[in-house]
Amino acid sequence: MKNKKWFAAPYLVWSVAFIVIPLLMIVYYGLTDQDGTFTLENMAKITTPENLKALGLAILLAFISTIICLILAYPLAIILSRKNVNQSSFIVLIFILPMWMNFLLRTLAWQTLLEKNGVINNILQFFHLPSLNIINTPYAIVLGMVYNFLPFMVLPIYNVLIKIDQNVINAARDLGANSVQTFFKIMLPLSVPGILSGITMVFVPALTTFVVSDLLGGGKILLIGNVIEQTFKQGSNWNVGSGLSLVLMLFIVISMMFLSKTEKEEGEGDIL
Amino acid sequence: MIKKHAKRIYLALIFILLYAPILTLIALSFNKSKTRAKWGGFTFDWYLSLFQNEDIMNALYTTLIIALLSAGIATILGTMAALGMQGMKKKYRAIFSGISNIPMVNAEIVTGISLMLLFITFRVTLGFQTILLSHITFNVPYVILSVMPKLKQTSKSTYEAALDLGASPVYAFFKVTLPDIMPGVLSGFMMAFTMSLDDFIITHFTKGPGIDTLSTKIYTEVRKGIKPEMYALSTLLFTTVLLLLLLINTAPNRETVSAPKKKPRPHRAGIFLVRRTLPAVIVVLFMIGGFYYGSQNASRSDNQVIVYNWGEYLDPEVLTLFEEETGIQVVYEEFETNEIMYPKIQSGAIAYDVVCPSDYMIQRMIENNLLAEINFDNIPNARNIGTRYFEKSKEFDPENKYSIPYCWGTVGILYNKTMVEEPVESWSILWDAKYKDNILMQDSVRDAFGITLKYLGYSLNSTDLDELNEAKDKLIEQKPLVQAYVVDQVRDKMIGNEAAIGVIYSGEAIYTQKENPDLEYVIPKEGSNIWIDSWVIPANAEHKENAEAFINFLCRPDIAFMNFEYITYSTPNEAARALIEDESIRNSKIAFPDDEDLQNCETFHYLGEEADQIYTELWNKVKSY
Repeated sequence: MKNKKWFAAPYLVWSVAFIVIPLLMIVYYGLTDQDGTFTLENMAKITTPENLKALGLAILLAFISTIICLILAYPLAIILSRKNVNQSSFIVLIFILPMWMNFLLRTLAWQTLLEKNGVINNILQFFHLPSLNIINTPYAIVLGMVYNFLPFMVLPIYNVLIKIDQNVINAARDLGANSVQTFFKIMLPLSVPGILSGITMVFVPALTTFVVSDLLGGGKILLIGNVIEQTFKQGSNWNVGSGLSLVLMLFIVISMMFLSKTEKEEGEGDIL
Repeated sequence: MIKKHAKRIYLALIFILLYAPILTLIALSFNKSKTRAKWGGFTFDWYLSLFQNEDIMNALYTTLIIALLSAGIATILGTMAALGMQGMKKKYRAIFSGISNIPMVNAEIVTGISLMLLFITFRVTLGFQTILLSHITFNVPYVILSVMPKLKQTSKSTYEAALDLGASPVYAFFKVTLPDIMPGVLSGFMMAFTMSLDDFIITHFTKGPGIDTLSTKIYTEVRKGIKPEMYALSTLLFTTVLLLLLLINTAPNRETVSAPKKKPRPHRAGIFLVRRTLPAVIVVLFMIGGFYYGSQNASRSDNQVIVYNWGEYLDPEVLTLFEEETGIQVVYEEFETNEIMYPKIQSGAIAYDVVCPSDYMIQRMIENNLLAEINFDNIPNARNIGTRYFEKSKEFDPENKYSIPYCWGTVGILYNKTMVEEPVESWSILWDAKYKDNILMQDSVRDAFGITLKYLGYSLNSTDLDELNEAKDKLIEQKPLVQAYVVDQVRDKMIGNEAAIGVIYSGEAIYTQKENPDLEYVIPKEGSNIWIDSWVIPANAEHKENAEAFINFLCRPDIAFMNFEYITYSTPNEAARALIEDESIRNSKIAFPDDEDLQNCETFHYLGEEADQIYTELWNKVKSY
């Protein structure tokens, strides 16, 4: 099968037409002004204090959400991976199941839950507990991000964990390692590819979202995604919008490169 | 033992986190009250009306067809690409996988925008096909990612052995390689299907008129509050999938499929039935439905009118009546803000026939030659519109040549009488520290600045930098007091007693009072914005006469009355107003304020691109403060 590589030809054409060319158009718009002359001004807009703040806040919240996702997901993935096969595939599907309820509706439901007179506060009141006031704060946004992106962290880690040969772990235990040692010396290193792809899958959408911050932040908290969306929508300024998107893209590419350096030959982390 | 319990509790907590919103949605689908803020009793009504709601059913069908087609095509493309990548040199493979990863790691908003730019530049009509192309594009990487590891696990020698034993490459592929990677292919397909189903952002940017997926439909509804039928539909979808999963997972011999390499596979027929036949049946059903759907679309005659209107701004019944009476088919699309609408008209990607922008946007469109003059001979019913509204329109359409008023109103303060004791008559209450965290502010540049400028005693069309900066500082001063910046969610939140004071459009005020009698609406004494939304015909409209017939129809008193009843925004149609039976509404000061109430009110003007930019930048400063 020497000519196997030609199988990739259709997708190669596809990706040039629908990935590369559109990106080049963003680059074009981002680097020109409305008359079509070259300028770096659009990209430089990121350095205004409010845009920098939006970017900084987005990074911070995305970072926190990623960490929380990781902390929640790892034990979960371990528990799931130890279930017998029949049960576990079902449980994994349970994690994908919520995705069949529309993303916007799910996020909107959190509003109903978290509001001042919302479901959670009514329950708390019933038990005479202090009320929870996190709606329209960064905490609610983090909650929304964790909620929406948790499955993207659980699944890749789970997939790596079930592939770990049980014999390796048994061998470690036979050789006298205790469970903590086995975990840090065997399990964790072997699951790095899954963790890395999980981090990517959570961090990027969390960094760029504008829907979650809109619906749960009460419009008071501006993330970089909101800024870009507003420049396109309210300012209908495609050039500046594209310029800011370019900056965001650069940012993602850099973090990807950083991650893939660590990943090296581990191979492409897989999601499912 | 303790460990086991800890595990259980942990799992339970995660499940609560994941499923609490879903339970909420399911509960809402049985809620008698139309607003999500109030529990009005148990009902099955929404499930019944769901199936009569053609819009939602069409959106559902489009969503499923797109998800199925895009996942199918992406699976074929992706599997082939993964196979091909195996045969590539390492360097090329790295580049190739880098490119294929772009849609996955890139911000969705960037992907969506880039595809929109592509389609518009190459003059591809935005519609079903562009959504499909976009979904395939972002689905393929998921397929590659799940096929790749499986491919790596398969050993080359089995394939070569098959060749040695005389199998043709094609035969060997289908008998040896494909079965080996099948779990990866299937999970890739499932992943792609789910992603497509759940996508909103990319669809939002690449869709055309008259076509909606569930996501985009919901998004337009977020403005006005989600229709309860949507909750019912989601509940049905969710339970269907849940049942399917239960069915598949309780089918015999499931485990042998999941661990194919360890054991020989007994009962292949049973697996075959569940794993292959069932999906096949579903696929066939979809195909038949798809052809039916396609033929329905194809039968669309050329005698149509493409309408672009605000979300929830017209009684759907009116469209049906119009189609029945005139035989002209209506292609109906909705927008959320003037600013979203404008670039779509400007780019000319879609030739809309009739659009309903607001005052200042109409001025901008006239200035940029985007509108056609209306032939008033074709719209005799325009005489039902009160002359004072045409007078007002002169501010943005000086010769009354381009626009016919449809709805109008003011911006004012809605407050809860049980939470606010003093009389409300000035904007100053929005800056009263007493109401910290109890104030809902409008989340749009012009409205927020307009209010503040008026409060400071300036014109809401000010372009004076000092005045604008002063307004900006005022808004920053107000920010700690604001509970949330919202657009139309003011409605639900005020009904649900979430806040004491909210800035709202007069049309919404009437509806909120019906739902919550404690609410009161005021136009502050400093004056406010009086706005008019009018019908206009874009210069590139292809069915101008149909558009005029449509506007004429909407100006008929009984039709305008129907619309008023449905959307509760004030109608400029005097003949329709006379039809209102409820005297308190016909003479309502909220719906139909007198001229003296409007003394200090102004209409928004289009201020030019430069001023727009300044406003946006200042607003961003407020929002990010």
